This record gives sequence, structure tokens and C-alpha cells, in this order.
Amino acid sequence: MSEMTRQQIGGLLARQGILVAFALFMIGFALANQRFIDPDNILGVIRSSAILGVMALGVTFVVISGNLDLSVGSMMSFSTIVVLDLHDKIGPALAIPAMFAMTLCLGAFIGFLVGYLKLNSLIVTLGMLSAIHGLTLTYSGGKNMDIADKEGTWFSIFGQGEALGIPVPILLFAALAAVLGIALAKTPFGRKVYAVGGNGTAATFSGIKRARVVFSCYVLSALCVAIAGLIQASRSLGSQNTVGQGMELEVLAAVILGGASLLGGSGTIFKTVIGVLILGFIQNGLLLVGLQFYVQYVVTWVIIILAVWLDIAAKRGKLWSPIA
Amino acid sequence: MKHRFALAATAATTALAGAAFAEGHGGTMRIGITQNNVGVDSYQTTYERAFIEAAEANDMVETVVLDAGGDVARQIAQMEDLIQQEVDAIIIWPTNGEAVIPAVRKAFQADIPVIVTNSNIAEPGFDFVASFSGPDNITQGQRSAEIMCDKFKEMGIEDEAKVVHITGQPGYTTAIERAQGFNDRLPEVCPNVEQIDQQPGDWNREKSQQVMEAFLVKYDDIDGVYAGDDNMGVGALNAAKAADRAEDIIFVGATNFAVGYEAMAAGEYWGSIYQSPVDDAQAALQTAIDVLNGEEVPFLNYFDTPKITQDNMDQFTKPVF
Repeated sequence: MSEMTRQQIGGLLARQGILVAFALFMIGFALANQRFIDPDNILGVIRSSAILGVMALGVTFVVISGNLDLSVGSMMSFSTIVVLDLHDKIGPALAIPAMFAMTLCLGAFIGFLVGYLKLNSLIVTLGMLSAIHGLTLTYSGGKNMDIADKEGTWFSIFGQGEALGIPVPILLFAALAAVLGIALAKTPFGRKVYAVGGNGTAATFSGIKRARVVFSCYVLSALCVAIAGLIQASRSLGSQNTVGQGMELEVLAAVILGGASLLGGSGTIFKTVIGVLILGFIQNGLLLVGLQFYVQYVVTWVIIILAVWLDIAAKRGKLWSPIA
Repeated sequence: MKHRFALAATAATTALAGAAFAEGHGGTMRIGITQNNVGVDSYQTTYERAFIEAAEANDMVETVVLDAGGDVARQIAQMEDLIQQEVDAIIIWPTNGEAVIPAVRKAFQADIPVIVTNSNIAEPGFDFVASFSGPDNITQGQRSAEIMCDKFKEMGIEDEAKVVHITGQPGYTTAIERAQGFNDRLPEVCPNVEQIDQQPGDWNREKSQQVMEAFLVKYDDIDGVYAGDDNMGVGALNAAKAADRAEDIIFVGATNFAVGYEAMAAGEYWGSIYQSPVDDAQAALQTAIDVLNGEEVPFLNYFDTPKITQDNMDQFTKPVF
């Protein structure tokens, strides 16, 4: 009986090592500063993580399919700038679908290059990182975009609104995570994504159209970026052109932290969400502890490595595992 | 109105200068400029336009206007091109304060005076530079401290006020100097005001908003926020508004942006430092002309960046960036 329980606990640890790591950090920060677990603070952190989180959901699909997406940061800047600019020109009701259409086109273009021309995704999306940045700057002429009438627009609900006491960005993030989580885990499309990333040749022999799956993953990623851009734009109702700069690496860090393999074939939406929350709470926790900020970069890295190590160690069932 | 007058005066002197050089060289002066990254923000876009206009208004000056697009390698290549073209002077807006030093040294060895504009290069390169023309970030930080302190005195809370400080990107000279100016000056003018925290907002409105949200959770009592530029200041303001605490807090920034100007007009944001890209560009061109005319030019040739608050903002035009 006790054997069983121990095995069960061991199994749980192995599957959810990252969750254990998350719980440990939360307890640590809460001990360091009581206000860390203040409900307002927790809601605040999840709300500001929502933008990164939404982007990470899409990138999870791309990574599981065995590819990379480094363009999401500058694509988010693009969406944000476009929707803010169009808001004052054609009104929010038209600006939002127009921005979604443009962002999806970018995603489709990348998906086409990687899926149908079989170009290396690292090269394609690294190139798109600067190409889209250039596109944004050309579009805006380098100017900061601001909505003229900040008080009178309903556009602010996506970033600043609340429903049932919960900020809208969190609701959007949660809803999207639920839908995409089910899509990945329970639908034929999700299984194809795993198959393409896990063993492409076997996937082809099973009759899966790999190009189409890869293409869809990039379009999905662009959809998530568009939603993130919408939240970002609505939250500050104004933006500089570089708003998403560098976020591609944070997004990737969250996805990898969640345990998705860069080689493709493994990862889940749930764990990506945990990865996103760990990053968000580390940043907030270090601020509340009041560590000098130059040190924060180092500490952030240490915590991430610690989390990854705990996760891996739990999976292997041992802490020490040299390359043999 | 004073400020606009000063602008007009600068433009006029720019137009008049050049005579002395022409007597010695018997022709126009050719000045090359390699800019950091035109188009990346409205400041740099406006700067370029103002520079070209000022140069066109002056018959004695001919310019070669280049842009490095934020790329250090391209800027170094542009420096070499300008040296090859044997221009009379080179103005550089460094993409990187360290990496451009060898190129600046090359120009120095070719007897071409180099004027650094907007942000200075690193100290090892100072020997090769004729003059630096740009804003004085330390003074800007000091002036922000004075704006903050004066407002506290007006409100009668100069003996108990608590301030949080949001800096620019760690490691950037502008961020370090502004923070230093503010941190040094505040205790001099308001010795009893306490700065309770300082964290970076990375010049990013969203990041600054997150930092301010954490400050609001951490501290029940915040009377003032100093942000290294208005973009971050407005991010902090947004956070305070969302927490219903904006009315109790005095916001002071630097580099007055359009959003900061608007927030001041709305009575939500108290003050900032007015830094005009037009002044910046004209000062750089004027410095180059003065150097070529053999005039005494201070090594650090700052242009004035005045204080702007809700009280005097009607004397300034709304920034274009």
C-alpha cells in the first residue's frame, strides 16, 4: 500500500517537476515579502503575463511541430502599432479585424516559406524578426502611436476591462489556453502536430500532410500574436515601435521552461502556462524583494536554470546525470 | 515665448556663420553626418529633417547625410566613406559608444574634425573628438529633482514625501546620467524627501507600468514618481490610475514626449524636461561650423533643455514624438 503511494508520488513528481519548482518559488517569495501573495498582486502579475502568455501558446504549437518562431516579438509590435493607428482612422470595430487579417497574412507567409518551400525556420523567422520590424517602422514613420481620445473609446476593454472581478486579459489568456490545450491534446490536428515534430518521416507515411500542419502552426502563432497585440494596444492605448522587441526570447524561454523540446514532438499547453507564470512571478517577486536590479538579471537566470534542472531531474529520477 | 525666441536666434546664427571658413578655404564647407537610426523613432526622424533644413538654409554649407540604420558595422563603413570623400568635418550620432572609436580615430588621423552628436562616445575616444554637441543628461536629472522638490514644497509635504524612481535601460549612458543627476540633486534641495526604491523601466511603457504596479503593491505611501523619460512616466501613470492612486502622486519625467505633454494638459502629470530634436540638430551643425571656423568650442557643448511643468507648458509647442 505504502509502496503504491510512494510510486504515485514519484510518478506525479516526474510528470510535474516544473509545477513543484513553481510551488517552491512561490513559497520562497511569499516568505520574503508577505505582499507577494496579496490577491491584487497575483491578479496583477497574471494580467501583465497574459501578453507574453498568449504569444507563448501559439509558439508552443510551432515548437512541438519541430520548428522555431523568433518573429513573434516584432510581429506583436506590428499588430499593436497597426491597430492603434487604424483605431483613429477607421474606428475600432474595423481596425481590429483589419489588424488580425494583416497579422495572419504575415503568419501565412512564414508558414508558406517553412512549410511549402521547406526553408529552415530559424533562418526564416530570424529574418522576419528584422523584416517585420522594418515594416512596422515604414508603416508608422517611426512615430509613437497614440489613440487621441483615450477616455472615450470602448477599445480599452481588452486590456483594462474586468468581468466578474477578473481582468479581461486574464480571461482571454485562460480561454485561449483552454481552447488550444484541448486542440493540442484531444483533436486529430493536435496529434498531427506531435507526429510531425516527433518523427516527420513516420508522419508522412501515416498520410499526414506535413506542410499543411506546419503552415497551420504558423498561422495559429500569428493569431495568438494578434490577440497579444490587441491586449497590449488596449492596455496602454499608445505604443512605441519597439514594444515587442526581445519578447521572442522570453516567449521561447517560457515554452522551453514548460518542458517543450526544441527538437519537437513534446510539450503541453498546460506546462507552457506554468512556464509563463514562473517568468512573470520571478520578475514581480524580485521587484518586491527589492533586489538591486543589476543582480536581478543574474538571479532570474539562476532561477530558470534551477527550474529546468528540477524538471529534468524529476523526469530522470536522479539529480546527477553526467553525459556518458 | 522665450524658448521660441531662442530657437529663432539659433537658426539665424546658423545662417550667418561660415564666412570665416570661406575666407580661409575659398569655398563651401562640406560636412558629413552619419546618424544612428533614422526612422526608429520620431525624435531621430525630426532630427534629420531639421538638420537638412538648417543646412539648406546656409549657403556656405554642403552636407552628406547618411544613416547607419542602427548598425555599427555600417556606421564604421560610412565613417570610412566620409574620410575617403575628404569632407571638412564629420558629425556622428554613435550607434555604439565603444565600437565606433577606431573609426573616429581614423578621421582624427586624417585631420578631419569629428563632432559627436546627441549621445557621446566612450571616454577612451575623447582625444579624437573635436566637440560633443547634445543634451546634458546630468543637468536634466538634476532639473527633474528640482521640479519634484518645488512641487512638494508648494504642497507642503517636503518633509515627509516618498519617491520611487524608474530608470531607463541599465547600462545606457543616458539612463545612468539622468539617474545620477536626480539622485544627487534631490537630497540637496529636499533633504527630507526619501527615495524608497529605484528600478529600471527599460525605456518601455509596458515594462514601466509593470514596475509601478509592483511599487504600488509594495508601498502604501508614494508621493512622487520620477521616470527617466515621459514614455515610462506615462506607463507609471497608467498603473497608478488603474489602482486609483494617481491623484495622490506627483509624476515627473524627462524628454517630454507628446503623451507626456497631453497628460500634463490633462492635469495628471506634473512636469518634465523639454528636449527638442530641432535644437539638437541645429546645435550639432552649428558646432561643426564653429569648429571649422576655428572658434573656441567647449568640448562638451550642451544645448539647453529647459524645465516644463503644467505651469509653463503654454510656452512650449507640443512635441512631435
